[in-house]
Amino acid sequence: MEQNNSLPPFQGLASPQGAMTPGMPIFSPMMPYGSGLTPQPVTNTNSLSLLEEQQRQQQQGLGQTPQLYHSQTVTTTTLPGNTPLYTATPLTPMTPITPATPASESSGIVPQLQNIVSTVNLGCKLDLKTIALRARNAEYNPKRFAAVIMRIREPRTTALIFSSGKMVCTGAKSEEQSRLAARKYARVVQKLGFPAKFLDFKIQNMVGSCDVKFPIRLEGLVLTHQQFSSYEPELFPGLIYRMIKPRIVLLIFVSGKVVLTGAKVRGEIYEAFENIYPILKGFRKTT
Amino acid sequence: MADVVSGDVLALPKVQCPNHPDAMLVEDYRAGDMICPECGLVVGDRVIDVGSEWRTFTNEKATQDPSRVGDAQNPLLNGGDLSTMISKGTGAASFDEFGNSKYQNRRTMSSSDRAMLNAFKEITTMADRINLPRNIIDRTNNLFKQVYEQKSLKGRANDAIASACLYIACRQEGVPRTFKEICAVSRISKKEIGRCFKLILKALETSVDLITTGDFMSRFCSNLGLPKQVQMAATYIARKAVELDLVPGRSPISVAAAAIYMASQASAEKKTQKEIGDIAGVADVTIRQSYRLIYPRAADLFPPDFKFDTPVDKLPQL
Repeated sequence: MEQNNSLPPFQGLASPQGAMTPGMPIFSPMMPYGSGLTPQPVTNTNSLSLLEEQQRQQQQGLGQTPQLYHSQTVTTTTLPGNTPLYTATPLTPMTPITPATPASESSGIVPQLQNIVSTVNLGCKLDLKTIALRARNAEYNPKRFAAVIMRIREPRTTALIFSSGKMVCTGAKSEEQSRLAARKYARVVQKLGFPAKFLDFKIQNMVGSCDVKFPIRLEGLVLTHQQFSSYEPELFPGLIYRMIKPRIVLLIFVSGKVVLTGAKVRGEIYEAFENIYPILKGFRKTT
Repeated sequence: MADVVSGDVLALPKVQCPNHPDAMLVEDYRAGDMICPECGLVVGDRVIDVGSEWRTFTNEKATQDPSRVGDAQNPLLNGGDLSTMISKGTGAASFDEFGNSKYQNRRTMSSSDRAMLNAFKEITTMADRINLPRNIIDRTNNLFKQVYEQKSLKGRANDAIASACLYIACRQEGVPRTFKEICAVSRISKKEIGRCFKLILKALETSVDLITTGDFMSRFCSNLGLPKQVQMAATYIARKAVELDLVPGRSPISVAAAAIYMASQASAEKKTQKEIGDIAGVADVTIRQSYRLIYPRAADLFPPDFKFDTPVDKLPQL
C-alpha cells in the first residue's frame, strides 16, 4: 500500500506538539489507540487524584511521540486487533458486510472527534438536592428530569448526575479529556461530602466529523448501496449510511461533509472513514 | 367434485372425458354440467352451484337480508375465519322481561384480527380522503398485513403503521405522496410516520425508489388550476435544474414548487408563492430560496417551445 502521501499530513500533526494541552494526546490513524490496546491503564483507580491523572496523560503523550514516527510506516491494514479491510486479489468474493474497497491509497483526511459520551459509577447514593444547592453551575429540575445537570469550563463538558450515583459526561473532544472531566465532576461530588469513587469509566459513544472536499452524488450512492443507505430528502437532507463492520452510522451530505457516530473506540471512526472514502470518491460530482 | 387440474400423483378419482382424457373440461354452471370441449360429451353432472341462492334488490321492503351466506370473504387478508354468530332474534320470544334481547352475542368474532380489521377500515378512510384508487388501498392492506404478522413493530400505534404503509404503497405504485399529504389525512405526526416508514422498510427488507420532481407535477399543477403547457414547462424546468445541479441538497418538493412558480409567473396564470406553498406543503421562504438558486439560469431552463406571457428578463426576482 502506498504511503508516499501519508507522511506530509502527519508532519503537520507532529510539529506543534511542543505546546501540548493537557489531555490532548498526539494521535494518528496508524496508532493502535482505540483497538483494544488503549495506552491508558486499564485499572480503575478509586482514588481521585487529578494531579496524578494529568501527569499520567502528559507522560503518555510524551511517550507517544516517538511511536508516531515509527508507526507512519505501518499501513492501516495492520492495525493490531483489526482484520484486514480487504483482500489482495480482486477475484476473492467479498462478504457484503464490508463495503467493497479496491486497494488504493489512503485518504489524507483524518476525522476530527467532536463529542465523547462516557459513563462512570460514583459508587454511592447521592442526594441531588444538596448537590444542586451547594455546587456551582448545577441545575436540578426534578419535574423535568431526574438528574442534576452540572457543567465545568475546562474541559468544556456537561454531566448528568443521577441519584443512584451513576453519571453521564458529554461534550469532551477526546477520550482523555472525557476521563479528566469525569474525574473533576467526581471530585466536586466528593468535596460536597459524598464518598464518591470512580468505578467503571466507559466511553459509550464517540462522534467525529470530516470533509472530503468534493460534492457527492447521494442519489447514486443510495442506488448502489441500498441495503446500507437511507436517503429521504423529505425527512433529512443527508444520507444515513449504516456501516456494518465497524458498526458506525455515517451522515453523508451533498457538500461533502461526513459525520461519523456510534463508535466506542477512536479506531472505529478512522476505519469507517477509510472504508467510505473510496466509495465517496466514486460518487464525486463531476460538474 | 371434479378437479381436473389436480397435480396429485395419487390415484384420486379424476373426472375426465373417456375419449379425450387430456381435454380440460368446461364447466357450464347454468345447467350444472361439465362438458368436454372436444366431443361435447357431458361428463359430470349435478355440479353444485356455489352462487347466491336468490337475488335480492335494495328497494325491497324486507328489512332482513334473506341471503344466508353473508359478505364475501377476503381470504387474502383475514386468514379465513369461518366462525358463526347468533343473530338478533325475531319474534317476541327472543326478548326477556325488560325488553333486552335474551341472547346477546356481540362477542368478538375474531379477536386476533380485530386490530387488523380496524386498521383496514382506517386505511380505507384515509385513502378515501385523498381519493386513492383501489389498487393502492389493496397494496397498503397487504403491506399492513405483512408488518402486523411479523410483529417486529408491535409496540407502535397501528394508525402510525397504517399511515406509513399507505405512504409506501403510494411510492411503490409510482405515484408518491409527500409525507405532509399523508399527515393531512392521518392523526399521526410526520415524525412518527417517518420513523415507522424506516422501520417498515427494514422489517420487510424492501426499498423504495427515490422521489423525483416530476412525480408531483401533475397533482400540484391540477390543484392550482394551471394549464397543461405550464405543467409541462414546470416539469421541464425542474428536471433541467436538477440535471444542471443548480439546487444541490434541496428537497425535490421544494425544487418542484420553485419550478411551478417560475413557470406560472412566465405564463398568463400567475400564482403567488403562498398559493403554491399551500398546495405543495412547503413554506414560501423555501420556495423563495430554491427560486433564487434557479433564477440566474432561467433562460436555459425553459423548454424551447414555450410561449412566454412574461419574458424571462421580466420574471420576478426575489
